[in-house]
Amino acid sequence: MREIFLIARRDYLAVVSAWGFWLSLCTAPLLFAVVVFAPILLSRSEPARALAIAADRPADEAAVIAAFDQADRVNARETLNAFLAAAAPGAQAEALAAFDAAANTQQGFAAARAILAARAPAAAQSMPQPQQRYVIAPAPARDIDGLRPYLLGERQIAIAGRQTPLFGAVLITRTEGGLRLAYWSANLTDPTPRRRAERALTDILRSEALAARGVDAQEAARIDALAPQVEQFDPRRAQRDGAVTMRDRAPYIVAIVMAFVLWSAVFGVANMLLTSVLEEKSNKILDTLLTSASPLQILIGKLAGTAAVSATLFGVWGLLGGSLARFAAGRAPDGLMAGIAGAALDPTLIGTFLACFVAGYLMYGALFLALGSLCETIQEAQTLLGPVIFVLIIPIILLGPAFDNPKAPFFAYASWVPPLTPFLMMVRAPAGLSPAEIAGPFVMLFIAVGFILWGAARVFHAGVVDNATAASLRNRILRRAEQRPAQP
Amino acid sequence: MSALIAAERLTKFYGARAAVDQLSFSAEPGRICGVLGPNGAGKSTTLRMLVGILPPSGGQVLFKGAPLRRDGQKRLGYLPEERGLYRNMTARAAITHLARLKGMHAVDARKRADALLEEHGLGPYRGKKLKTLSKGMAQKVQLLAAIAHKPDLIVFDEPFSGLDPVNQRTVEDIIRGIARDGGGVLFSTHVMEHAERICDRIVLIAHGAKAFEGAVSEALGALPRTAILETEGAYDLRAALASAGIAISEDRAPDPAHRRWRLDLDTPDMGRRVLAACVQAGAPLTLFEPARPTLHDAFVALVGDRAAPPA
Repeated sequence: MREIFLIARRDYLAVVSAWGFWLSLCTAPLLFAVVVFAPILLSRSEPARALAIAADRPADEAAVIAAFDQADRVNARETLNAFLAAAAPGAQAEALAAFDAAANTQQGFAAARAILAARAPAAAQSMPQPQQRYVIAPAPARDIDGLRPYLLGERQIAIAGRQTPLFGAVLITRTEGGLRLAYWSANLTDPTPRRRAERALTDILRSEALAARGVDAQEAARIDALAPQVEQFDPRRAQRDGAVTMRDRAPYIVAIVMAFVLWSAVFGVANMLLTSVLEEKSNKILDTLLTSASPLQILIGKLAGTAAVSATLFGVWGLLGGSLARFAAGRAPDGLMAGIAGAALDPTLIGTFLACFVAGYLMYGALFLALGSLCETIQEAQTLLGPVIFVLIIPIILLGPAFDNPKAPFFAYASWVPPLTPFLMMVRAPAGLSPAEIAGPFVMLFIAVGFILWGAARVFHAGVVDNATAASLRNRILRRAEQRPAQP
Repeated sequence: MSALIAAERLTKFYGARAAVDQLSFSAEPGRICGVLGPNGAGKSTTLRMLVGILPPSGGQVLFKGAPLRRDGQKRLGYLPEERGLYRNMTARAAITHLARLKGMHAVDARKRADALLEEHGLGPYRGKKLKTLSKGMAQKVQLLAAIAHKPDLIVFDEPFSGLDPVNQRTVEDIIRGIARDGGGVLFSTHVMEHAERICDRIVLIAHGAKAFEGAVSEALGALPRTAILETEGAYDLRAALASAGIAISEDRAPDPAHRRWRLDLDTPDMGRRVLAACVQAGAPLTLFEPARPTLHDAFVALVGDRAAPPA
């Protein structure tokens, strides 16, 4: 035990005493934050894009402007709805009704904020501002020749005291039997203004066609606006009227995040083990270690040391993530973040995560160690690890579909395949699996882990004691296979 | 004197090939024993079996009279031929770590590491990472790590390879110091001069089998003493001495103006007899030098054509 402890301790300290470890430990959450928040911050920091609309008929122009207003209102409502679902679900319906009753987006947000101030003061403080992506400016010219300098940035227009070039111009002309839309912009990648204008003009054409056939335009619009009231329910819930909310989806979100963390942790620490054994093999340190510890003790020590590194990673990330989630949950005790915090601290999910990590880590870690012990260089190791890495990539491909339908027969069967079990069972954990559906794959997994550990220990022994290589080991196995039938 | 470690009919097969074949020898406390042999003779395999890294295919290793087990293994020190340590560890941490693996308490191991580093002039480098030290210094640190736990027997595999003459002398001093303090030393080398200088006993092996075991003086004693003679011009000394009943052989001459001859001094008065015969024959003798046989000569004589590695 002492030898195992000392080997584990050295491997642990070798990693955690390196500044690179703490750098990567800190950069991972930062990277996560950047990936999540950067698009939001970027979209908020960008000024609204100025558009000019010029049409032969003022009614057409007004219809397109109205379409932009309506789209902004719909977007703003979605933003508000998502925020309310996450931060103040208790006041969601009332605040949305207030928003809908208001004359415009700004007034709608003000009305919703007033509701929140009374019902959920903490949420009211963090309520987002309505973001307007496009602003319609008075057209400085009526044709493209006049508009071109504004579109190319040679001239600017004033909007709310700010000078800006035109982002795009929508020119609408009446043709014989229809409408022609010409969208001009130096930006070739944002199709939204063209699509919005196109949809508005399509509505105009349809209304005109219906009117020509004697159907009232307002009546046609009312019919177009008809939509069913949609609610989703979970039959497993006791309350018959309890619709599914974002909070109900929190455990699934937590589970898939945990599955990704699990995958990256297993892959990361298995690579650490590989690098470590390669260093010892190429530096001939193993011979020195072997005079004090058996190959099995070295193998277990290395696995334990790197497991301790993982525990440090999970500890720091868990503390950080848990603190953030609890902070967010404290601000909105009935919101999505509270649901996520609750799910992240759910003993079932944590237990599943730990079981999956231990099994996945032992399985892949032992495999990487064994293969590493047969190599002298990272290039040799990469050749041998090709098939293992291919197997490790499969769960990443399956996680998304498994999240969508965790009880699909394919995933029920795939969960029994040990290399996939840790990742698939993690993502399927909140789906209400039966005890047999949980126990079966896990029993199979731990049997496979035992078998892999046994085989890895033998390969590791051959690699470090006999300096076996992949080729010599293959020859030895083939030779034994040939000799076996000859034995009496 | 009882043996610290003994190889008994030690055998190691790799496939059908015997790398070590029925090898038996022993090493004693306070004595320096050299395992000599050409490259590929099976020296490293033998030492790896002796320190318990490699399980033998046959035979056994006895440590203080009992089969070598883990506790006995802890009383051995080992410096492998291809040396290396964790490059990111400090000199002090590396020695401490390996000493603790050998069973030393953490505090004692640290104190011992500091003392050894100080004693061998590496005190100022104790906190430096090994990757920042010179190759010679790093090798010295590994050697100190091998002896930090004060082993009963230290086994060095080619301890002088890759060292400059100054560091070779340092290693020799350390080896002699261990033996002086009562520890046993067993080391392998294919450089006969080292063995001749510091070994009390030697084991010559070729193709995994023992060719000789005994004191250096015994190995040298097995060879006749010789003398080297040189004559001027094309003078045929062999013919001149043949008439006096003395047989000599011709050696390669150092230059075209001379011929060189070798003579076995197989009787105590042989030198005097040859000189008298030369004077009587009027031989143009320019050199008469009695030559002491070297361990290299003994090795060639004892191992002979078995020294060549198998094709």
